[in-house]
Amino acid sequence: MSETSPSFYEAELERTYHELPFRQEQFVQLRQSKVFMEKHYRSKLVIDDLADKAAMSRFHFIRVFKSMYGISPMTYLRDLRVTKAKHLLQKGFSVTDVCLNVGYESLPSFSSAFKKCAGYTPREYRSNQHSNLE
Amino acid sequence: MIKIYVTSIPVEDQEKALDFYTRILGFIKKKEIPLGEHKWLTVVSPAEQSGVELLLEPMAFEPAKVYYKALKDAGIPCTSFEVDDIDDEYQRLVDLGVEFSVTPREAGTVKIAVLDDTCGNYVQLMQEL
Repeated sequence: MSETSPSFYEAELERTYHELPFRQEQFVQLRQSKVFMEKHYRSKLVIDDLADKAAMSRFHFIRVFKSMYGISPMTYLRDLRVTKAKHLLQKGFSVTDVCLNVGYESLPSFSSAFKKCAGYTPREYRSNQHSNLE
Repeated sequence: MIKIYVTSIPVEDQEKALDFYTRILGFIKKKEIPLGEHKWLTVVSPAEQSGVELLLEPMAFEPAKVYYKALKDAGIPCTSFEVDDIDDEYQRLVDLGVEFSVTPREAGTVKIAVLDDTCGNYVQLMQEL
């Protein structure tokens, strides 16, 4: 790290960071909801659980989360569950076991969410993994 | 469904870049196909070996050299990679002799750092917070 004057990029980072339309504590609040999702994605979660963790009202939480991360909190949770599901399918767990392990209560809703994210059904993904081992 | 299968980073020397991107950064070589005086040379993340390939593209087009030099002079990274823990990765790379122009710092929803890839570029590392 040089002690010379900051580069154009560093100066822009500094400037834009201070112009972000959120307060520092809001970043921390939203991170708390993400940590909660990481810990509890196996359980049934509703938006009020997540908003509580961020100490925000439901509607404010949804709006701020979407502004910060570009997706809604429930979409973030869905993507997180599908990522976890992919790892389990790669390890050879059955689709039903994986479905229950990542917080879905029905196979159709799990398959639908998985296909939206991955482009394949969980069954197709699992078959592809086993026919194309790396 | 449309997908991104390859993205590229311009490098001054493909052999040197392959060494840096594999031995230092930790990518895995995927394709090395001779193409005239250069190669179609790609690397992938160990975590996604069937995922998006990073093409180490020879910086052979003169106007491109001017553009990428301008980016480097301004300290602007030409691409960004995600890591699980940026503080750990920063320390690992510093121990390997990698130079950083920006040490790990928070920037909103992410924590970033910028390193010199020794091949003509700055590269940003990012951990989502």
